[in-house]
Amino acid sequence: MKRYNLIVVGAGPAGLCAGIEAAKRGMSVIVFDENEKPGGQLFKQIHKFFGSKEHKAKIRGFKIGEQLLKEAAATGVEVRLNATVTGLYPDKEIMVKHGDGMYHYKGDSIIIATGAAENMVPFENWTLPGVIGAGAAQTLMNLHGIKPGNRILMLGSGNVGLVVSFQLLQAGCEVAALVDAAPRIGGYGVHAAKVARTGVPFYLSHTIIKAEGTDHVTGVIIGEVDDHFKPIPGTEKQFDVDTICIAVGLSPMSQLLKMSGCTMEDNPRRGGEVPVVDEYGETSIPQLFAAGDVSGIEEASSAMIKGKMAGIRAAYELGFCKETETENSLEKCTADLDSLRQGMFAPGNKGKLIEKTEEGIPVSMNLLTKGFVADGEIIHFPGVTSQKGIHPVIECTQNIPCNPCQDACVKHCIKIGSHITSLPVVENPAPCTGCGLCVASCSGQAIFLVNENYEPGFASITMPYEFLPLPEKGDKGKGLGRDGKTVCDAEIIDVKSLPAFDHTNLVTMKVPAEFVMKARFFKAV
Amino acid sequence: MNDRLRDIGPFVPGRDDDLLICRCEEVTKGEIRQAVHEGMFTMPEIRRYLRCGMGLCQGQTCARLVKGIIASELHIAPSEVEPASSRGPVRPTEMSTLGNEEEA
Repeated sequence: MKRYNLIVVGAGPAGLCAGIEAAKRGMSVIVFDENEKPGGQLFKQIHKFFGSKEHKAKIRGFKIGEQLLKEAAATGVEVRLNATVTGLYPDKEIMVKHGDGMYHYKGDSIIIATGAAENMVPFENWTLPGVIGAGAAQTLMNLHGIKPGNRILMLGSGNVGLVVSFQLLQAGCEVAALVDAAPRIGGYGVHAAKVARTGVPFYLSHTIIKAEGTDHVTGVIIGEVDDHFKPIPGTEKQFDVDTICIAVGLSPMSQLLKMSGCTMEDNPRRGGEVPVVDEYGETSIPQLFAAGDVSGIEEASSAMIKGKMAGIRAAYELGFCKETETENSLEKCTADLDSLRQGMFAPGNKGKLIEKTEEGIPVSMNLLTKGFVADGEIIHFPGVTSQKGIHPVIECTQNIPCNPCQDACVKHCIKIGSHITSLPVVENPAPCTGCGLCVASCSGQAIFLVNENYEPGFASITMPYEFLPLPEKGDKGKGLGRDGKTVCDAEIIDVKSLPAFDHTNLVTMKVPAEFVMKARFFKAV
Repeated sequence: MNDRLRDIGPFVPGRDDDLLICRCEEVTKGEIRQAVHEGMFTMPEIRRYLRCGMGLCQGQTCARLVKGIIASELHIAPSEVEPASSRGPVRPTEMSTLGNEEEA
């Protein structure tokens, strides 16, 4: 039986960060993962992450995965793949299935970072081929390069449902509708807005009644639900789709912890059955930790910090790390975690209707129910101003912990301040050169550069564009509004793709001047 | 919670009773609801009685759904339903592999 100072189960963001921190402090570390590739969900995340520099904001998820793997290799973390931990036994012994054999390992400490599994909802014909989890759709598209379907209906408007809908559009699928039984969109407004402006309709307070088809999905019927989530007869709507994507939340995969005998609780706020842990993730069994989604559903950025904390704490308890160094490192982690857990989507605000931003501006109810901010509402936000010449228009309308736009502008036109959830303010747009770095830096794709006086009678709008094929200079088409409906004629006058933009292309279109605050997407005709 | 003498009302057939809940072991919603009325109030009992959650996916898909059905039949919150136990191997493993112990 082989021994290690630390055994980590799960090579996702939490597990890798835990392993790296422990190995840095001199521990022998092995990480097991049942998959053939490490990184957990990170390698499916092709979008730019939110947060601040400390949280690796504006870096795409799979790039963060690559960075972590490099760090793990550099610090001497052993990563064992295709290795399924099948049991966790007393005295920190684990059994691992690898190939056709079983192997025993013992750790001085163990960190469980097994993540979560997708929830399902049953409806008539939900077992037909073509009904898949949103995570499965991401795996097909982003890991294997396979289109999950041609025409898709998405159930679930949390960040997963919104982000995967956008990725489906990027993969060339048509998203017929985005449906959620809740009365309000659960995920970030900016994620909803970038889907809505391509023309995808949102159906809130709706659920799937049945999938149609005999041996695979050929259609779906949705219906409106009442306050008790019961379908209202007569409200049915039919869509011809070949795929139904389900994104209705995650459940922690906590079986190993449960069998270890540590104290568990069924906590709906944390996503289901989770271990009872202290602030560092240590369970009721000393030197047995849980980190990441397995100890409560959050997202990858906080999973990384929680992994770090568990790794540092494990090192300290085994004497690999002095008290003052430990305290300093953990304090830094706590501060990073706290800043991520602020704003409208903070864990404590789950399910609450927030009607005003921290600045006292009424939250757009259209955004919460239809996925876009109405023309009349957008002007209330501090990032949206009317100026002479070129200037940024920042359609960031909810307090979320994110600030890359502030650092992106070398001329300091954009200000968020030290409070990371504050709405960005366009403070002094005079020096704006139209470089477009702010547009590309916004993970929510909510920044546009507009020039209200591009030429007599016409304005220019530069928007983030992450679809293929890229429009070309001279292309003529239609300008779509925030709601995805055609508002005017548009002509492409510039397309920029610089390495600094990291694959967010900047497409500039010319529209009649009166549509400068209305048109937000381009559709070729 | 587990007081078997508690009156949970009669079993009322539902329109979606033939909905498949556990795909691996082919157990329907009606069968699970019926089992609650036959006195199976906990996840371990339902699992042994109907085998739901005992198949290839080991309850990864249906455990949450089964819990919800038991809870609604007992008029309690899902978090109050006694959870299933967990034991190794936590992932499906062939007997030939399980018996093949190797030195790491």
